[in-house]
Amino acid sequence: MTGGSGKSWPHMTSREEFRFLSDLVMARSSADQTIVRLRDHHAGTTRFANNQVIQNVDTRRGSLAVTVAFGGRQGTASTTDFTAGAIQHTVARAERIAKVSPVDPEYLPPANPCAFPVRETAKPETVAAGPSRRLEYANEAIGQCRMENLLGAGIVSSSVAAVGIAADNGLFGYEQRTDARFSLTVQAGDATGWSAAAHRSIDHLKIQERTLAAIRKAKSGREVQELPAGTYPVILEPAAVAGLWTWLIWSLDAKSYAKGTSPFAGKLGHLVVDERISLRNSPDHPDLMGEGFTSDGLPSSESVWVDHGVLRQLAYDRFTAKREGVNPIPTLEAPALSVKGLPVASIQDLVKNTERAILVTNFWYIRPVNDRSLLLTGMTRDGTFLVEKGEIVSAVKNLRFHESPLRAFRQVQAWTHSMEAVNAEIGKVLVPAMVLPRFTFSSVTRF
Amino acid sequence: MSSPTWDEFAELALKRITAAGAEYGDIRIQDSRTEHIEGEDRRIASIRDIHDIGFGVRVLYHGAWGFAASSILSLEEVPRVADLAVEIARGSASVALEKVRLVPEPVHRDSVVTPYRIDPFTVPLEKKTDLLLNVMETLHRQEDIARSKASLWARRDRKLFVSTEGSRIEFDLLAGQGDCTATALYESRFASRSFNTPHLRQGYELIEEADLVREASRVADQAIEKVKAPVVDGGLFDLVLDPEHLSLTIHESCGHPSELDRALGYEANYAGTSFLTTEKLGKFRYGSAHVNLVADDTEPDTLAATGYDDDGVQCQKWDIVREGIFVGYCTNREVATKIGAARSHGSNRADGWGSVPIVRIANIGLEPGSATVDQLIVGVKRGIYIEGHGSYSIDQRRYNFQFGGDAFWLIENGRRTHMVRDVIYHGITPEFWNSCDGVAEQSARRRYGFITCGKGQPGQSGWMTHAASTARFRQVQVIRGEGQS
Repeated sequence: MTGGSGKSWPHMTSREEFRFLSDLVMARSSADQTIVRLRDHHAGTTRFANNQVIQNVDTRRGSLAVTVAFGGRQGTASTTDFTAGAIQHTVARAERIAKVSPVDPEYLPPANPCAFPVRETAKPETVAAGPSRRLEYANEAIGQCRMENLLGAGIVSSSVAAVGIAADNGLFGYEQRTDARFSLTVQAGDATGWSAAAHRSIDHLKIQERTLAAIRKAKSGREVQELPAGTYPVILEPAAVAGLWTWLIWSLDAKSYAKGTSPFAGKLGHLVVDERISLRNSPDHPDLMGEGFTSDGLPSSESVWVDHGVLRQLAYDRFTAKREGVNPIPTLEAPALSVKGLPVASIQDLVKNTERAILVTNFWYIRPVNDRSLLLTGMTRDGTFLVEKGEIVSAVKNLRFHESPLRAFRQVQAWTHSMEAVNAEIGKVLVPAMVLPRFTFSSVTRF
Repeated sequence: MSSPTWDEFAELALKRITAAGAEYGDIRIQDSRTEHIEGEDRRIASIRDIHDIGFGVRVLYHGAWGFAASSILSLEEVPRVADLAVEIARGSASVALEKVRLVPEPVHRDSVVTPYRIDPFTVPLEKKTDLLLNVMETLHRQEDIARSKASLWARRDRKLFVSTEGSRIEFDLLAGQGDCTATALYESRFASRSFNTPHLRQGYELIEEADLVREASRVADQAIEKVKAPVVDGGLFDLVLDPEHLSLTIHESCGHPSELDRALGYEANYAGTSFLTTEKLGKFRYGSAHVNLVADDTEPDTLAATGYDDDGVQCQKWDIVREGIFVGYCTNREVATKIGAARSHGSNRADGWGSVPIVRIANIGLEPGSATVDQLIVGVKRGIYIEGHGSYSIDQRRYNFQFGGDAFWLIENGRRTHMVRDVIYHGITPEFWNSCDGVAEQSARRRYGFITCGKGQPGQSGWMTHAASTARFRQVQVIRGEGQS
């Protein structure tokens, strides 16, 4: 920890130490194949509500998982105790499991060693950030809310993780990953406004800008009217777009596709959304959370998943990829969605150009209703407005939607440049705000 | 030299907290072991034996909280973490407007052990994998079954809680669960049907008594019946909801809104607030007179019956809704002061040593009524009988909800006739519970546990059990859950 105390963080598992630990595991293992995975995670969160700090925490958890295999029989044991005795015990537990496990017909030996891409996944300013920096940021947001006589609730968090994978075939990967987050919900009576950020660098959280955005939203929501459920044009802000696309991305499992239990069954190579939409993995993008390698020891790389509306890629486990002859296996930890054509400059411009629509800041509690059609439900949250003749005319009571992204994104009317988006239920993505001509809301709530 | 005992580590931490001038502090040292065996499509896909040990120190300094935790249990790390917790609390105190106060709780020195007949960690692994393979083979005996899943889960938590007030409580807690799922294909459709034992604080006898293989046969049959079943048109239906289904309805529409920290705005940025605001306590008609929702953290076998919560408060039984009126919250020692309560209800729980305790839903259950399940069905002219969990979603104040289910049967003229599929119902929480006009008797009561209840930032998983007897609800809005492709 740095800051007021002048103390430093406790020592974190270094590359050399992980090498030493993994060598120790290999030396103790009698298995045909052995894999070691490291996650040493130091994280802190300052949480506030009603303009007060309510929770202020700092946790260090180191974890080592050992997977061993004897002739296709495998077992995994993990421990948070890195002493030699505990590691030996963990290897013995994994071996005991493997020796009595049935042969897994899908077992594959560890991935071949390769040179993983070296990415700037750890930012020193985030590594150095401790409770005092988080408190300073929380205070900045709280102070703005107090000045406006509004109530703020939110978090500032920062973390660093040492992540490693090693196998007895020479596979070895180690990198440090930082993560900094800010989110704020501002309450103005019954109305709420929200904003959030996530970045490798704590310096990029833009606390003031995002606090003012959440305050603006909350204040705009004071006058509220109720609209009947029905199908409306919508302006979806980036977090709302990201919420829907997250479920679409989670449904790209290749094994389900092969078994016929995927909403995309038979659609690989076919148009699934508007032909101007593309989805890529962009691990080198400075605002995304790209990684050097996956938990399976595969390199993360640029890949195209949806190309001008056509589904080009599925998410493969190693066994299914081998069966289907897919190599290399693409990853999607840094999704970037774009729309070909001329974007408008801002969300305000989308509003200006819209005759009538519902503007959605964010969705909440999105869950699948029907896995075949990828029909989803969820609620609007923290800023839902009626737009008429290019202006926001009032807030509206929150609505429940019933919609499939495969239907909703068939036609995009207008869009912005891609922007950073994040919320509590999704990872970090880059997506545009979009205007969709038809979006179905099935009911209204009380606020 | 032998390594220090947990008590010696605890004493070391609490001495430093006290010496630093904190008014309250506690330490939880926890050693958790989880075994999770997952089968998929006739194979054992993964066996994980997870050992997780560490400690967390919580400090209240000048009316503000600090918490620090570490997986390194050593003579160097314990004082570092205790000092860090104090330093963090000092930072929180420097910006505090209102000081945290804790309602009093007697000092407890106790030991809590889960009773069990068969320790799941001593059952041979081959026996468990054989069971899951057998279950999946049974599911696949029906040729229309395209995919299968089966799993077993067991967890043991050994924990020591020691506070500066003098409480010292040892825990040795066990929990387990098993399940299986079949997915059937028919034409271009697919549908799944599941069987779950409840998550309960029992030994492996829970699995043996459940007879997963027998249930697998039924599950496969019903998955096929479900995928071939007709879709029901939307409209107003009477619903008869089974206890497993109701456990989720209770959890989402009663459990969460009755968490006092939510009502006070602590969760406004994530899980949300609650429509059960404090001025409604003792006055608000939440449901019909048939609706009695009781929190009981003393019932044996249930997940929240841990003897004490992570405030060191003894587990209790209390009313949440009595004859339809909202009368009680789930509380901890901090938020109980905000409504003038003399004592916490003991609902402060962390999901492990690395997390700070927060208010969690208790074991809230629907008290049995006097009807039989058959009587509830006989009284329905046009309705749907729903079993198990399906789609679920609810707004952040817990008004507007929507639920699916795992299996649905049409009720026509007082008879359960045939399966239907893709049923979704939605409503507003108090309107829905006010439409309840019958709850089945004690013999229909079942218990279902939850171990993945998400709340808090950083996110934590809460554990609790919801018991219910089958209940009937009149004229609920049903919609087709079949999307357009």
